[in-house]
Parts: sequence; structure tokens; C-alpha cells
Amino acid sequence: MNDTINPTNRLPLTNEDTVGPYYPISYDHDDGMDLTKSTIGQQFGAKGDKIILRGRYLDKDGNGAHGALIEFWQANAQGVFRTEDTEASPEIDPHFDGYTRHRTVTGGFQLKTIKSGTQLGRAPNITLTLFSDGISRLVTQVFFENEVSNETDPVLLSLPQDKREKLIARLVGEDDDNVPIYDIEIILAGKGETPFFDDFLALGWRD
Amino acid sequence: MEKLGRILRIGPTDNTSNERTPRENLRIIPPAARDSFLPYSRVQPGIRMGENDLTRLAPQMPRAEGDAIEMSGQILDDIGQPLRHALVEIWNANKYGKYAHDLDGYDAPLDPNFSGLGRTLTDEEGRYKFWTIDPGCYLARPDINRWRPKHIHLSIRGGASRLITQMYFKDAEHNDTDPMRIVMAEDFHLNIGKKYETPDIDVERGFKFDIVIRGKNSTFFE
Repeated sequence: MNDTINPTNRLPLTNEDTVGPYYPISYDHDDGMDLTKSTIGQQFGAKGDKIILRGRYLDKDGNGAHGALIEFWQANAQGVFRTEDTEASPEIDPHFDGYTRHRTVTGGFQLKTIKSGTQLGRAPNITLTLFSDGISRLVTQVFFENEVSNETDPVLLSLPQDKREKLIARLVGEDDDNVPIYDIEIILAGKGETPFFDDFLALGWRD
Repeated sequence: MEKLGRILRIGPTDNTSNERTPRENLRIIPPAARDSFLPYSRVQPGIRMGENDLTRLAPQMPRAEGDAIEMSGQILDDIGQPLRHALVEIWNANKYGKYAHDLDGYDAPLDPNFSGLGRTLTDEEGRYKFWTIDPGCYLARPDINRWRPKHIHLSIRGGASRLITQMYFKDAEHNDTDPMRIVMAEDFHLNIGKKYETPDIDVERGFKFDIVIRGKNSTFFE
């Protein structure tokens, strides 16, 4: 379902398809759920305020979306994303990538990271991409309670008030090292559904 | 009027799809936030020699049961530029339609010489190549006798490009009743490998599967 109604000379995109239930567990050994430490055994770490984000993906019956693949993406403490275009920027933190992935058995996850900086009017956020059996790809962004910049963030402002609340992780405490812990529930379908984002318009709609 | 994104389709007869597919329209990403939604994976894992040959667990080990096949192709973005040094991971069922994965409860034999996992990095021209075993189909819904047609899963990750998809086989048994195939509708042909002869290599036949992924320079609102 990749077609758009605007004729272009672009190549037709291969269809996305579900990851299915059997994504190889061994493949996520290369990935990690602690973005604050770039090199194990060295003292280097990411700049910024450490946080822990705990989340749960729930299906329409309130069950955990077990066996899914989750990917995380965020800016560094300066609010800068690390891409090939920014690699040479003085604002890049050499000890922070901002990308990782995780295969969840239960539908839950726990990510230790730093809170991203605010730049270009954005509030601190993490982009979460879910691949799972039964769906192709679901993308959303998670924000943090008590951030003043939430009031002016363009993604939050694009949503009705009740939907904004669904994307704001709640501060629930801190761990033994005084790292604040935030919780979020992401509801895939049905009552209380979390908003997910698209990168192109509904078929048939034209500006 | 508020601009809304797609409504995702639920795969017919797919229970998980029913449980996990959002019912509301997707939301359009505000232009000011567009770039933030594009993950960029800078680091790729180290790949060992032979990880793209699934037909043997190691070079000196016996061949897995079934027909060895080659799957190869080129990965491009939608303006035709090759996706270089991208991580391509594949996984598929064995000859009998059984995955080695912990969670596969399907009642069919495991092949001790087939893990069904392979990965590689694309070359300078975005090309990749695997050898694997022609997969079997399997009974996904015994209650309604609905099968999954044979298929090979692929995950591609490189730079700002990301795609998870499946390659199917032309006119294969059970293609027509597959939920994901039904959702793809007339675009299904884009996910079918094109068969080729392989007279000079130690496999039965080959399938060319070229892949196009939306690149980072694509416009969102076409």
C-alpha cells in the first residue's frame, strides 16, 4: 500500500511486511538497552542527565505485545541527532549514538539513556518504532512529564489534548543511583489507543 | 479539516493483526518534527565469514535437508541510489515449514543442520547474496486450515533506511489466502522473487529479489 496519487518517476517501494513471531533472538546481542555507556569497561559515558524509561506495549485486550522488536532513536544532550550529516558537528557527543533496538519477550522494555536536549523548539523525546507479528511498523514519540517545553512541542501540539497525554511518560521514582524512572503504556489498539505517526498521507488525500 | 494519515488494514484471519492494529488514523508528522522521526543507525555488527550461507552451520558441516537456493538482489532507495554497507538479516523456516525459534510450536521436524538465520552487509552497489533452503509452508491457523505460504523474512537497516519485509514465491501454494498478501493487494508482485537458473553453482535455483526502500531524501508528502 505504498502508492501515492502524485505521479513521479520514483521507483515503486517494496511493501513492508510483518516481522512475524520468529525474529531471531540472537540478533539483538549486538544491541543494548543502556545508551549512557558507549564502551564497556571504560569510563566514558554520554553527556547529559540520565533517565530510565520503562514501557509496555499492550494490545487491544490489554495483553503485552510479546515477541516484538522495538527500536529507539533520540537526540543527544545538546538536542542534536547523530547522522552522517551531523557527524562533524561540535555538538556531537562521541559517546552517544542515540540508536538501539531490543527484542522484547513480554512487550515491556527498560531503556537507560539521557534526556535529549531541546533544540528547534522540540521537547525532550524518544522515537519508538515497533515491529511485531500482525503489523508492519508503528512509530510514535514519547515525552516526559513536567517539561515546560512540552507546551510548545510541534508533535504534541498537533494532537488533541487527550491524545497528548498518551505520549507523556510519568515520573514514578528513581533507582538506587538517583536516576529518575519514567513509565509509559503504549496501547496499540482500541480503548485509550496511543497515537501513531505516518510518513505519508491517507490515500486519496491531496493538498 | 484536519489532515490525517492512513488507516492501517487488518490482515484477514490474522488474530494478532486484529489484536495489535491501531483502529484510528495514523497522525501526520508535523513538518517541523520530520527529521526527528528518521532513525539513523551508524554502527553495524561484525559479520563472520559464511553467515550468508544458511545451508550449512559451518563450512565443514553437512548440508541441511531440502533444496539449496540462492537469493540475491540489489537494494536501492526510491531515486535509484544503492544502499551501501547495509545490514541484511534473513530468517526462514526449514524444508518442513518449521522454525528453530524457541516459540515455534508447529508440529514438524527440526533439521539439526539448519538454523534458518543468516546475515550479511551489502556491497558498494547495494548488492547482497544468500544461500538458504527452500522453505516449507506451515499451518498457521489449524482451526480454519489457513496456511502461511513459503516465504523468507528480511530485515534491512543502514543509515536512515529501515525495512522489514518478506520475499514470496510466484504462484506458490497458499499465496492467495495469506493475510499479508491480501493486505498488499495489487502491489504483491513487488515482493515476489524472480527465478533464475544457477548452472555453475551448488544450489538448485536462484531468486532475484531487488528491494526499494524509501530513502532519507524522499519527500514525506508526495
